[in-house]
This record gives sequence, C-alpha cells and structure tokens, in this order.
Amino acid sequence: MPPFRDDHILLIAPGSTWTLAQLGLPESFTPAKVRIPSRMFPGIEEGQYLPNKVHEVAEGQELVFGNGEVITAGPNGKPHKKRKVGEAAPKPDAASANGAATDTPNADGDSKKPKLEDGATETKGDTTMADATDDKGNHDDDEEGHDDDEDHDMNGTKKDEGANGKIYYDDDFDEEGAIWCMEQGRIVNWECFFALLLHVHETINPTFHTPILMISQPCWTCTDKERICQFIFEKIKAPGFCMMDAAAAISAAYGAQSSLVVDVGYEKTDVTAIIDYNVQELGRTTIPVGGNSMNKHLQKMLPHLSEDEIEQLKHSSICEILPPGIPIPGEEELEKDIIVRPPDLSTVAMGGLVPPKAPEEEANEEEDEGVTNIAAIVASGKTQEYLAKKEKEKADKKAGLALGEKRLPNYKRESNSFLYVEKVAEHLGGGQKSDHPIEVPDGEHMDVDPAPAPAPEEPSAEKAPDAVPAPSEGDAAQPTSTSEEAQAANPDAPKPAAKAEPAKGAPSLMDSMFSATKDDDDAKRAQDKALRREEKKRQEAAQSGEKRKEIEVGTERFKVAEGGILEAIADAAHRVVNSADDYNQRNDCWKSLIIVGNGCRVRGFKDALLNTMVAKYQVSPSSGTIFTSELPSNIPTPSGTGTNTPQPSSFNTQPNALLLQAAANNAAAAALAHHHPSIPQANQSPSEMKIAKIPEYFPEWKDAGFEECVFLGAQLGAKIYFVTDQGANKGFVTRADYNMQGPQAIHNI
Amino acid sequence: MASTPQMSQVLPSTTKPAELEYGGDEISALVLDPGTNTTRCGFAGEDTPKTCVPTYYGIIPDPEEQKFLGKLKIGENAIHSVVDGMEIRNPMHDGIVENWEVTTEIWRHCIEYRLSSRVEEHPLLVTEPIWNPLKKREKTTEIVFEDFNVPAYFLVKSAVCESFANSKPSALVVDVGHAYTSVTPVLDGIPLKKGSERTPLGGQHLNNQLRHQFTELGIRMAPWLMIKTKSTYTDLTNPAPLRTRDYGFEPHQSHLELQQDRFIHEYKECISETWPEPKSFPADLNNVPENFRGLPDKAYEFPDGYQRRFGLDRCLAPESLFNPSVAPKPWTGETPKGIAEMIKDSIDHIDADIRANMLSNIVVVGGTSLLYRFNERLNQELTAMFPGPRVKIYSPGQIAERKYSAWLGGSILASCGAFHQLWISKQEYDEIGANIIERRAK
Ligand SMILES: Nc1ncnc2c1ncn2[C@@H]1O[C@H](COP(=O)(O)OP(=O)(O)O)[C@@H](O)[C@H]1O
Repeated sequence: MPPFRDDHILLIAPGSTWTLAQLGLPESFTPAKVRIPSRMFPGIEEGQYLPNKVHEVAEGQELVFGNGEVITAGPNGKPHKKRKVGEAAPKPDAASANGAATDTPNADGDSKKPKLEDGATETKGDTTMADATDDKGNHDDDEEGHDDDEDHDMNGTKKDEGANGKIYYDDDFDEEGAIWCMEQGRIVNWECFFALLLHVHETINPTFHTPILMISQPCWTCTDKERICQFIFEKIKAPGFCMMDAAAAISAAYGAQSSLVVDVGYEKTDVTAIIDYNVQELGRTTIPVGGNSMNKHLQKMLPHLSEDEIEQLKHSSICEILPPGIPIPGEEELEKDIIVRPPDLSTVAMGGLVPPKAPEEEANEEEDEGVTNIAAIVASGKTQEYLAKKEKEKADKKAGLALGEKRLPNYKRESNSFLYVEKVAEHLGGGQKSDHPIEVPDGEHMDVDPAPAPAPEEPSAEKAPDAVPAPSEGDAAQPTSTSEEAQAANPDAPKPAAKAEPAKGAPSLMDSMFSATKDDDDAKRAQDKALRREEKKRQEAAQSGEKRKEIEVGTERFKVAEGGILEAIADAAHRVVNSADDYNQRNDCWKSLIIVGNGCRVRGFKDALLNTMVAKYQVSPSSGTIFTSELPSNIPTPSGTGTNTPQPSSFNTQPNALLLQAAANNAAAAALAHHHPSIPQANQSPSEMKIAKIPEYFPEWKDAGFEECVFLGAQLGAKIYFVTDQGANKGFVTRADYNMQGPQAIHNI
Repeated sequence: MASTPQMSQVLPSTTKPAELEYGGDEISALVLDPGTNTTRCGFAGEDTPKTCVPTYYGIIPDPEEQKFLGKLKIGENAIHSVVDGMEIRNPMHDGIVENWEVTTEIWRHCIEYRLSSRVEEHPLLVTEPIWNPLKKREKTTEIVFEDFNVPAYFLVKSAVCESFANSKPSALVVDVGHAYTSVTPVLDGIPLKKGSERTPLGGQHLNNQLRHQFTELGIRMAPWLMIKTKSTYTDLTNPAPLRTRDYGFEPHQSHLELQQDRFIHEYKECISETWPEPKSFPADLNNVPENFRGLPDKAYEFPDGYQRRFGLDRCLAPESLFNPSVAPKPWTGETPKGIAEMIKDSIDHIDADIRANMLSNIVVVGGTSLLYRFNERLNQELTAMFPGPRVKIYSPGQIAERKYSAWLGGSILASCGAFHQLWISKQEYDEIGANIIERRAK
C-alpha cells in the first residue's frame, strides 16, 4: 500500500451541535476548516436526509420572496430546485402532502438516494412558477421544469426542484424540523448520523486514497464504534480508518502525560482522567450539564428575554463569572459567605515550615477590596498579574478621584447592557450561511464565536450555541448610537487603553484585571484587535441587515454559573480522579487540569471552576505541615512553598522501626515481600490543582482559543497514525484488517 | 490511546452466527462480575473490564410505581446527585442477589452503558460466589436467557476465576471484598465446598467501623456534596462554622452514608494501615505502654476542612479484621472469627493431603486486600499458625488486578479455546429450562 500523504487525510470530529472536519494536515496545524451543524432534515421521502430543510410549496401559494429568487441547496451535487420561497411549511404538512402526492412515490419507497428520486421526479412533474395556478398533480410542465433546471445548473449554485406540481425549496435558514443526530454526545439517530457523515464526506470530496480519523465521543459504546467502522468501510470505502478518543486527543493537544480533561459541551460535560497517556476508561463519566445549562439558568432569572437573547447575553462581555472576593455589585454582604481564607497557619504549622503568606499584601487587599481569595488566585497561577493589577487599580482609583467621574468597569456595575443582534429574514437571498459548511478563511480564524451567521432566532439558540455572533469586547465605537458617540468624544478616559474605553459594555473583569497591567502594549494590541474584529462584525452585520438593540440586564449576568454547574462538574471530577486505580498518580491529574469545550467560553468560567474545585476538594497546604512536624528529622521536608504535601514515598515506605529491624535481621522477609507486595500507600490528594498550560507552538490556535483543541489532537494523532507510523503499530484499521475481522477491528487498534 | 489486546476469536460452537450485515463475524463474549460494591463487565480476552458501575442504586419510593415501587436511579452519576427523597440501597446481601428486578436493571445498565447496545448478540459469562444457592443460580439463568436473550451463557465460581487470574489451577483463594471475606480452596480448577468459609469482615465492615470511630471522636462527617466550601480547622472543640449547601430538603440518611463512604474510602486508601504483627497491637489506645514504638502520624483532612493526625488509631479498624474483638463498634450478636482464624478453619477442614499445597498457594485478592500492609499481617499470622509447612502468599502487584481478579479470570476463561464446549446455549435452555444450570455447571 502506498503511504498516506499529509494532504490526503480526512479528519472528522462529530459533536452534538457542530461537526468539525478538514482534509489534509497543514504544515502548521490549524483549527478545523469546515464546520457543519450536526443535523439533517428529513427529506421528501422517508429515510432520506438532506442537509437543508426542504419545503414543499404548492404552486400558487403565497410567495414570500421575490420571484425567481432561488437559493442553493445542492446537498448531493444534484439540483434541488426551488423557484419560490414560501412560508415555512410545517413539517407534518410537508409529510402529509408528500404522502398525498400523486404518482411519483413508487420510486421513493425503497431508494435511499435522494438524488435519484429527485432526478426521476423532475422529469415527470416539474412546474414553473409562471403557470403555478394549480395545487396538485400538474403533470404538464415537464418542459419548463427542465428549462428551469438548466438555468440553475448554469447558475452553478441555485437549484430547484419540483415534482408533481409541488415545488420544493431548500431553506437554508429554517431549522424547524431539523434532526440532530447526537444528544449529549450519544448518537440518537443513526440514519441521520450516517447521512451527516456522507454529507461531510461529499462536501469535502476527498480522493479514494484518503484515510479517515474520527474523534470518538467518550460515551460511545463499543457497538457504536463498530457500526461507524462498518459504515466507513462499506459505504464511504475509506482505505484506512481510526478513532481517537476525544479526551485522548485533547490531552495530546496539550502534550500532557497525565491530566484531568473536562470537556464542557452543549448539554453534557465529559470528565476523563488520563494517566501516563492512558485514558482511565473505568472511572470516566459524562454528566448532563453543559453550556446550555447556563442558558437555562439565565432564562430562569431573566424570563423576559428570548432564548436567542439569552444566548447572546451569555456570549457578551458583560456576562462574566466574578472571582471569589469580588463582590457582585450591590450584593456585598451575601458574597462574604463564600470567601475562603487560607488556613490560619499559626495553629497548624508546628514545624514552622511555612511562613505565613505575605501579610502586608493581604492587608492591603483587605483594606481596598474586602477579603480576596488569595489561595484561589495563587492556585490559578496569576499572583503576579493580580498583585500588579491591584497596584494599578489603586493608582487608578486615586487618579479617578482626581479626575472626578470615572467610568466603572463591568464588575462594579449593578446593571449593564449588551448589544443584541437579530438577523432578519430579508437577507435570505444573501446567501448560504448557517446551513452550509463554513469555510474558515485562513487569515481570520474564529475568535470567540466561530460561526459567522446565525439562523433565525429560536432554532439556533436551541441547538447551536455558537452560531450567534456576540457583540464582543464591549460596545466601543458603536457608530449608530448617538449617545455613544457623545461618550466616545468624552476625552477623559483614564486608562492607557483609553481609546478602547468602551462606552457601554466595559471590559470584563478578567480583561481589565490582567490586560492593562504589566504589558500595556500587549493589552493594547489585543484590545485594538478586538476592536477591529468588532468593527468588522458590525459592518458585516450592517450589510446583512441585522436588527440591533440594546438590552440591559442586572446582576443576573454574574450568576450565569450559579445553577449548580460548577459544583456538578467539580464533584464529577473528584469522583473520576478518585476512581483512578492508581492512587499514587492522582495528584498528577489534578496538576494538569484541562478545561475545554465551547461551553466554557463564558468569561471567567475556567477560573471559577478551578476555584470551586480548590475550595472544596484541595487538601489545604497545612495538612502536609501538621504531618511533617512530628516526623523524625531525617525525613525529607516538603518543598518550601508549603503548598505541596510531601512526596508520597517519604511516608509510604517509612516502615515501622520494629519491622525495619526485623527485616534487616531476616533476609527472608525480602523474599516474601516479593510474593505479596504491599502496594505503596498514597497521600491524600489533591494537594495541588493547576490549569494546564496551553502549548505555545501552535500559533494558529492561539487566536482561535483552545476550546476546540480536540481538533488539534486529531491532527497530531493523524500525523502519527497515518503518516509517521504508516500502520507499523496498528494505529488504524486497514481495508485488509476490516475484511478479515469485520467491524470489531476497530477495537484492535 | 487505550490499547486493547486482541479479542477472542473463538466463536462458541453453540452460537449461531449472528445476523449482522457484515455477514456473521465472531462476536466476543461478555464477562460480568457482580460484586456488592461494584458490578464489572467487559469483553472476554481483554485485561480489564470496560465498565465498573456501582451496585448501589437509588430509589425514590412511590407506591404507584408497579415494578420497583419507586423511581430507580442507576449508575454513578445518578446515585451521586442529590435528589429529594432518594434512598440508596443495595440489591445484594452477603454476595447473593436479593432483589432480582433491580439487579437485572443494574446488569443491563452495566452492559449497555459503554459496551454494547446489543446484549442479545453476545455470549455471557457471569461469576458467582460459591455459596450461591440453587434457586438463585436458576434465577440468574432465567434472567440471562429471558431478559437479555443471550445466545449462550455460563456461570463460573469467582474463586475459580481468581485462581486462574493468578495463573494457579490450585490455590486457596482469599477474597477480601466489600461485603465479606471468603476463603475457598480450588483444586485443579474445581472449587471445594468443604473448606470454604466466609465472614462479614470486609470493606463494608471497615466503613462502618470507621464511621463509628469518627463519630466517637466527635468529627462531623459532612460529605462533599453537602458542603459549600470548607474552612480548615484542627480544633474539634472550636470548629470552623459549617457552610452547608442548601438543597431545600434533607437528603435521605442512606444517601448521606453513601456520600460519607466516599471519603471513608479515601481514608482507607491513604490513611488506614494494618498493624503488621499479630497480637501485639495495644488493647487500649489511650493507654499505650511507654516503650511502645508506634507509627508515624498521617494527617487527613475531612471534607469540611477538619484536619487531624492519626497515629496508632489508624490501625484500629483494620486490626478488627484479624482481631474482631477490638472493633470500635461493638458487635451485635456473635463476634465473628478473624480472617486468619478463618483460613485456619478452612485448612483444618480440607483433606490432609492437599493442605500443604493450599498453604503454599494462597491467593489474596479483593479491594480490601489493598489495605496498606494487609498482606504482611496475613503472612505473619499464617506463618505463626503453620510453622511447619511453607506458607506462601500470592497477590497481584497491580491495583487493578487485585480489584478485578474475578473478572480477569472470567475473561481468560471465556476466551480460551477449550471453553466453547462449556457454554449453555439458548436452545438447551429452551429445551430443559433453568435447571440446565445445575446439570451443566455445578
Ligand atoms: N486501596 C484500598 N484500601 C482499602 N480498601 C479498599 C481499597 N480499594 C478498595 N477498597 C475497598 O474494597 C471494597 C471493594 O472490594 P471489591 O473486591 O471490589 O468488592 P465486591 O467484589 O464485593 O464489589 C470497598 O469496600 C472498597 O472501599
């Protein structure tokens, strides 16, 4: 078999809302080039699935869009024509109409290939709009139908289809009736899932010599994998196939040997421990909370907002989770309750190994901001920035006082507003947005919101949380609002990033906390960039005819994660790690916490999750201290920071003195120990929790964010399995393997 | 990335080729090992089970519900969520299934959750304790064929699996599990009823002892799920205020205990230690002789933030496995025999000519045998009891192998070529009924 080439490898990562795909491994790994919503629409016939919603419109019915306006569908490269755009026919309607449709169906019954039927029906019963007076069973228009077809074919993209006096039209924007083939990662509709795979494959249209790597969801069963393997070999006829576990791919992207992978999805969160590159299958779990749980929680607090508005609020910069110690404006007293203080070391540290943490700093902070969770900030590894920021804030405060009025950052405002962008239907003709694979241009990878275009309201919020562009990074330079123009003219913006000083949506706390500090330049650049992006979006929005409005929300925007999601994930994580059999290595997992998935894009989410975990499960540093202080002095003391419990070995293997003597006198004891080893005992974990560092050598991913780094892992995996290794270590299933072993071959790689 | 070894290529002769689209390839057998604490399942031929789900289940009682008299909650996530009125129960007693309706659901969950959505396609091997009565064995057979509709099935004694997993056709198998500790002599792959013993001294016993011990010390045992955040303190008389999470209802006591078992289990893993010598453990911990060399302290932090050093007292509960009279929590009824005693009884009961063989092939498995220094103590006890013959203990050095020994043995058995004659087919069951199990698998 000739070796596989870098540019001939197909990567597919199916997810509950989006399926990511890409052909070829670029020199420098990129975010996925193709994004397709993980849903299909029931076709005209039973068992048929199309990537777009197809309406059946009886001729002569009311037309919503201009005559002759046709929109592309081309699901299978075959014309689906439509010549008019009707009110979205509710699905049952279409189905019944379809059932009633006269003579065509004999072909429809058994064939699963939509194109064939389309072709067949076209010749029979196409109608033009011109003589569309009839509702049903008009067979006279064959000729015209063909003409139309040709037109559209020439057109290249616009295709119509009509049959038996019906007009079918592919609606790129209607998501009603869409069938989502996966729920919480599980494949719930196989027909639809396979149709989606075919659609992905046809969209990318690779050569015959293109092996496929698919990311498998943690919750897929062995039979699921076998079914997919079978489909890949028998229908798609790939020369090679392998599956890479999502968590394995994520940790590979991070280059982590042991880690705890938390993948926050749409309606689920997968939690997996990885030890020494091995997925700990037994303990891993998938819990039914995810990004959408936060929507639901927001919705409960803000019942007057629509689902779409909620979704956009969640994406906006004013929605953020404040770190402990930063009170929600107007609610100071309540928040005192969750403040965690570092343990009072004086009562515990008998050995005096740990110097109390810099008391001056602590005092300073208390005086300024109320108590701050030092432990959490230390744990998040941002001490430096934090302190610097604090300094800066103090300075700002003075400056602010001097200057008089100073605009408050988001986290100090009881209410704030965001810009809601509503897509209106008129721009439909403008093009194929949400329903078509979105090619991410190389230059600009998705920023916060990868998908450029939302579908109309509800449906997109329903299932495609990322489909809506968020008005990101504050609403600076808002050209339409007069009041804002006035604001922008306001000269006395105090911060260095003055020109970016947002008029309404102030920078999020995290931004303001960590950006304007050490590296003003960097921050500025980032902000500029954000602004430019913002501007671009705005223009795009303006072109495509969006409606905008400002929506003001109160402190609910800080409570997005208070619906129990953080606690649920933290507890699952604790269970997962504690079920890892190798208890000596659990700490390594905690030290490399990987939080990914688009569900965690909410500002402050990752830190909040870490804080929740630290506050509840991290064993306080002093444990090590009370422990060591009584030990004989020849035992190694813990490292000076006091945050580490001692190395397990120093205690586990410390035998009872009596025994030690006995052992020395009796060599036989050693021999015996060989036969019944006592497995070394571990210390309580976690003694330390850290968010894993994002690797720096993937420049393309820096801007895109690491939320979808599973795809980076897929590329790394594909490179190893298909190119470097070429099957030497059975990294993938070959055609020959499949022919010998059948679908089960997928388990033997 | 997780590698899986080659799967069984053996198609049981009694299995008709599966009706799958790809034309009847071999289907690997499933191995199911139902324990009291967890139920494990996976494919024959692999070296670890694929799923390990809690055998504990939740139920929200509701007399209206026909089958279970309540709403069932099965699986790790379900039983660890806080639900109003949910009670936690266990369908097994003494290693034997008591509640078949629920057990069936747990088994089904265990299989379908990660392994296979097509139970009916796989031959199924199930393990059982040696004291499983005939009625229960027939019931298992019935469920496997009627409810799961498997093509073929077999029931194997877990002790046999455990000896095979440790590459020993003959062994004295000591299984220190959750609900019990059992001793079973296995001779050339045949488990001997004569000489098999068991006692309730196991992981569950330890949990109860530790719960009692902690309560006596005055430790408030709020589990993680009930706490908002912890604050560290060391002085029990002056505890930090407890910041509990308010769910708007009181979780059921049984749920609370299950949650407490989580940190008790952690305590067992990292703090508990077995005093390595027989008979020398001080009877009164408050009155330890002056010259007695104890153990270095180990500190443990409870979920609410209470930190305490444990010294000799961390050996107390494990000591009760060997010397039940020291148990912190007094026994109701008769005090059982210690584990070493029980092994002695077993040896005394078996034929004299195999005693030496058994003593030099003692296989120790089960989760609770992972207690730190458990095997050292056992070795010392046995060497003291049987000074003549050579006592030799074998115990897997891998944590997973200890915990899943029975499953692993089943996996080895079911994938071994000769095993295919043993499977009981659906057809045989249809002809003979549940009693087939007594004829085919004694
Ligand atoms: N490292 C350990 N130290 C002490 N006890 C342990 C350890 N690991 C597991 N256990 C205990 O072992 C028991 C489970 O043993 P297992 O053999 O799986 O029981 P079963 O087969 O009845 O389910 C539990 O009580 C658990 O707490």
